[in-house]
Amino acid sequence: MRTPRAAYPLTWRVMDGLERIAAALWPASFQRGLPYLMLMPAVVLVGLLVLGLFQIGDTSLRTLDTNTFLMSEDYTLANYRRVLTENFFATVAGRSLMGAVIVTAVTLLFAFPYAYLMVRTSSPALRKFLLVALFLPFFIGQVVRAYGWLIILGNQGMVNEALGLVGVPPMRLLYNYPAVLFGLVQYMLPFAVLMLAPALTAIPGELEAAAASLGAGWVRTFRHVVLPLSRPGLIGAGLVVVTLSLTDFAIPAILGGGTQDFIANAIYDQFFRTSDQGLGATLSLMLVAVGSIVVGLVFLLFGAGTLAMAEARK
Amino acid sequence: MSHDKFLSIPIRRRTLIASMAAAGASAGLSPLGAGRALAQEPEKPAEIIVRAWGGSWVDALKAGVSDSFTKATGIAVRHDLTEDNEIQPKVWAAVAQNRVPPIHINWDTTTNATKSALRGVTEDLSDLPNLKNTTDLAKPVGLDGYPIVNTYGYVYVLAYRPSAFPDGPPKSWKDLLDPKLKGRIALYNDGIGFHFPAQVAGGGKLEDIPGNMQPAWDFISKIKEQQPLLGEDPDFTTWFQKGEIDAACTISTNAREAKKNGIELAWVVPEEGAKFDTDGLWIPKGLPENELYWAKQYINHALTKEAQQVWLDGLGLPGVVPGLNPPADLVGDPSYPTKEEDFEHLIRISSKVQVENESQWFAKFKEIMQG
Repeated sequence: MRTPRAAYPLTWRVMDGLERIAAALWPASFQRGLPYLMLMPAVVLVGLLVLGLFQIGDTSLRTLDTNTFLMSEDYTLANYRRVLTENFFATVAGRSLMGAVIVTAVTLLFAFPYAYLMVRTSSPALRKFLLVALFLPFFIGQVVRAYGWLIILGNQGMVNEALGLVGVPPMRLLYNYPAVLFGLVQYMLPFAVLMLAPALTAIPGELEAAAASLGAGWVRTFRHVVLPLSRPGLIGAGLVVVTLSLTDFAIPAILGGGTQDFIANAIYDQFFRTSDQGLGATLSLMLVAVGSIVVGLVFLLFGAGTLAMAEARK
Repeated sequence: MSHDKFLSIPIRRRTLIASMAAAGASAGLSPLGAGRALAQEPEKPAEIIVRAWGGSWVDALKAGVSDSFTKATGIAVRHDLTEDNEIQPKVWAAVAQNRVPPIHINWDTTTNATKSALRGVTEDLSDLPNLKNTTDLAKPVGLDGYPIVNTYGYVYVLAYRPSAFPDGPPKSWKDLLDPKLKGRIALYNDGIGFHFPAQVAGGGKLEDIPGNMQPAWDFISKIKEQQPLLGEDPDFTTWFQKGEIDAACTISTNAREAKKNGIELAWVVPEEGAKFDTDGLWIPKGLPENELYWAKQYINHALTKEAQQVWLDGLGLPGVVPGLNPPADLVGDPSYPTKEEDFEHLIRISSKVQVENESQWFAKFKEIMQG
């Protein structure tokens, strides 16, 4: 016997109605366009950034008139000439690039064993401890962490006080290049571990067991099995760390004592100290260009790592 | 919302009582001319926003100017502690886009304010009644009219830790080259305050500024060998407090404040001289008429003897109104010049020359220090 339609629960009828409305608004023939529609927010966001880049590009071609503090009406390459010829900018760019490379190498070196232990340990307590230790720094902002290092590494800080107990006079541990690199490594470590962990999780533990059963020692297993298979994670982590380090502002400003500027600090100075937006825009564009070239080279040489997991699985 | 409504009656009553009191007392009252202006003054805004530096700087402004302004007018004063360098592009952008600027009054260095004046974003303040009672210091050098009103002067002194100078206070900026001070000195991170004395210490002449500043760069290069720390006002206090430095070129107010906080510190004006500069107040263009009126009244009030005395006692700086009494601890202090001869050792260069060349000086200083 056929159940009368009126016996349908109200919610079913509401859902039927909604489906009919959805079908009218988005016919089945439109289904192929759905993925593109879902891309729209990202496209709009990136589009806005690109528009901003055009605006910055326009500003970079104008010079500051110090009689009126207005940007010139005419286009000129003077700012680019300055950036490419003045020693100061070469020094700062070199320091930033070298710093980014060193920080990336050291961070990956420290992050790898951490991530490996976190993924492979059989102790749930240890894994939880490592996870908590990993996420805790995220609750403390970069600036606060940098100020924390001022307290720990200062002339009257904990480290110097401890050294004083064994007769070592206070030494300057802050306000130099190593201090900036140290602060950056400490800041980047959680990012790198987070990027590495999924790649290491994807390596079946049985592969390491198989290598061991065939007589490979820990070092050979690491070199021929774990390291090659973790390459996507290393590349992904490396890309994140190198780009964040290259563009960092706070750590060089706070731990560098004013003498270890990175490019971001130089950009800030132009926008906010000398009011030279043209030069600031030029430096910004060149930073974007250098960062993009570095990332592009890594993509070209090593692929996109975990940033292209599907590719990595092939 | 309902809470606001609930509160509105007593607030109105308080305002009314205050207005009546003001009217009653207005015969000779007011530096603001409140009695005379009651019938014609424009509508009062609920508040005016004054950009200020934090810490003891804003405390002094509040005690000396803002609180008494609020008491006299009933208009609340909100202090915006955005850095002076960072508020500048926001104000410039607002004026360029015909928007209402984010602040009513900018408490600014005269050098920075001069940039805004040259850009044409400042209101003319020539009609402030209390300007007639001020000294020449109130007038910005090299600009027409009063796009800024200077409100006090200050000196970039050589502040030092007496225990690090057992043979007596430093006499010259060259004393910073003593090997025992390596890594123990500090300058502003854009070199501000140090360029001009460095020109003299490097064997050059002030008349050569800005044409030939090579002596300054040579001296700064020698200072660079001493591995100075470079920072901002709060950094100096922290560094002295934490034992990181023994000497610094800094504004006397910061040194005095650090000393008040128990840090062992003294300061001198070295034989080569020290840079003397001014800070001022200005109003960005684009405010509604009534708010502009009250913003001007605020600055006019800041130029009264009473407001200057309290404000500048807090800062320990000489004002622009004659007859102010120096704080007891600064009587005869070279960082608090009051007489003609006090200025002999102080170096004052026009703000216009400074802003026109600042970018190159800054770049050169950075090139030396970052190299």
